[in-house]
Amino acid sequence: MITLENVTKTYKNSTIALRGANVEIAKGEFVFLVGASGSGKSTFIRLLNKSETPDEGHIYVAGKDIGQLSNWKVPFLRRNIGCVFQDFKLLPTKTVSENVAFALEVIGRPRSVIDAQVPAILDLVGLSHKAESFPDELSGGEQQRVSVARAFVNRPLILLADEPTGNLDPATSVGIMRLLDRINKTGTTVVMATHDRGIVDTMRRRVIELDRGSIVRDQARGVYE
Amino acid sequence: MPIKVDYVVRETTSNLGRNITITLASIITVAVSLALVGASLMLRTGVENATARWQGGIEFVVFLRPDATQAQIDSVKNALESSPEVDGYEFVNKEAAYAEFKNLFADSPELVDSLTAEDLPPSFRVEPVNKEVDAVDSLGSQFTKSPGVKQVVFASKTIRLIQQLSSRLTVGIFVVAAFLLAAAGLLILNTIRMAMFARRREIEVMKLVGATNWFIRVPFMVEGLVQGLVGALLAIVALAAFKPFFQKWLPNPEDIPLVSGFTVGGGETAFIFITLGIVGILIGAIGAGVAVSRFLDV
Repeated sequence: MITLENVTKTYKNSTIALRGANVEIAKGEFVFLVGASGSGKSTFIRLLNKSETPDEGHIYVAGKDIGQLSNWKVPFLRRNIGCVFQDFKLLPTKTVSENVAFALEVIGRPRSVIDAQVPAILDLVGLSHKAESFPDELSGGEQQRVSVARAFVNRPLILLADEPTGNLDPATSVGIMRLLDRINKTGTTVVMATHDRGIVDTMRRRVIELDRGSIVRDQARGVYE
Repeated sequence: MPIKVDYVVRETTSNLGRNITITLASIITVAVSLALVGASLMLRTGVENATARWQGGIEFVVFLRPDATQAQIDSVKNALESSPEVDGYEFVNKEAAYAEFKNLFADSPELVDSLTAEDLPPSFRVEPVNKEVDAVDSLGSQFTKSPGVKQVVFASKTIRLIQQLSSRLTVGIFVVAAFLLAAAGLLILNTIRMAMFARRREIEVMKLVGATNWFIRVPFMVEGLVQGLVGALLAIVALAAFKPFFQKWLPNPEDIPLVSGFTVGGGETAFIFITLGIVGILIGAIGAGVAVSRFLDV
């Protein structure tokens, strides 16, 4: 599903964010990216949906070399990749269901599809009763559920999560992880960058550890360190 | 992917409403500058029409009687041809005179219908070598007594003054209008930049979930177009309302040997208005285009 071949990314201030990374992630895998701040986890995530482009190496997503992708095709790549962030990125002027519907609306899905899928996905994340609430009326955990719903409503092949539990307390985090686990069980590949030792140690999934841009460990059913 | 019309309409109206004050500022600037451009174009057209027979160095016109014979016409023609003081001349026959008349008085069909080509005098428009007033006078007077000649009419100083004034005024107004139009373009650019800043969260989410670049751009482009177009429409309405007053203000055609009053024909007015509309749309499109390509990183 995802292949990185010798990928190197350097930022303008000559920080090396990723150095010669070689990774192969199969369809349906659940992968944790761990490492200290600045170790290159976010860059790894941003490279996968072409928010950044590598200086060297090739990245294949669903069999396609995304380095070869012309600019106007990038949106179509992103329709296959859901994204969840630490800061939720919800639109404060839209209700929960409008936030989720927005993701379908802007890629031109017909109203009938939107009307069918939005309630279904809100049901999946357990927020049907909050459909008409605004983001600032929700708890952090609930907001992150909305954000997961928005990322997953288009049934992407891949879900990228950059510190999705970074702003949440441990109990709420567990709920989000259950949700991501459920999504993973539907066959969606999940790549999650995290600092949360407890989560990594409990879930026992594949762990890729980064240190100053280099992959120092790639372990199936791994732990945080 | 087709972009839905209702989506674009909704987004554009909400963008325009969100920045209502600066939107109005750009619309008014577009309107004022285009009204100036339009007014100077109308002034120039009016002066050209009023002084139609005095364009291109023509200093006097020999009008023949409508019933002048071909022999009489030929003898005047030969006299002009052989005179070393005549630099050039143009013969306007009855049909050409009637066509010009119809064009100038297109707004008063009853006047056009009351006359036929037969009623109008043929004429020679003469450009002398020496354009000093005295030389022109003495050359022109030679023709007043020729057989078949009804009247010799001279371009007066007033006409030269009007032509000069109008051309300088036109240039002056165009320079001012060019600066105003540049200001309008920059205002539109900034309005759209603000609209994009106000919607940066939406834009970020749209990029993340895979909205196409054009889907993100189009509402902003339309916003710029609407500002330019509304400004142009305001200018057109103002000019249309102002046109009758404008024509009354100018000198009475009976006081000076003009072809007609300072009229601007319907076709000419339409042409000016369409030009203003196109310029308005262009200003909007350019402002929006620059904003979208520079500040919308998609």
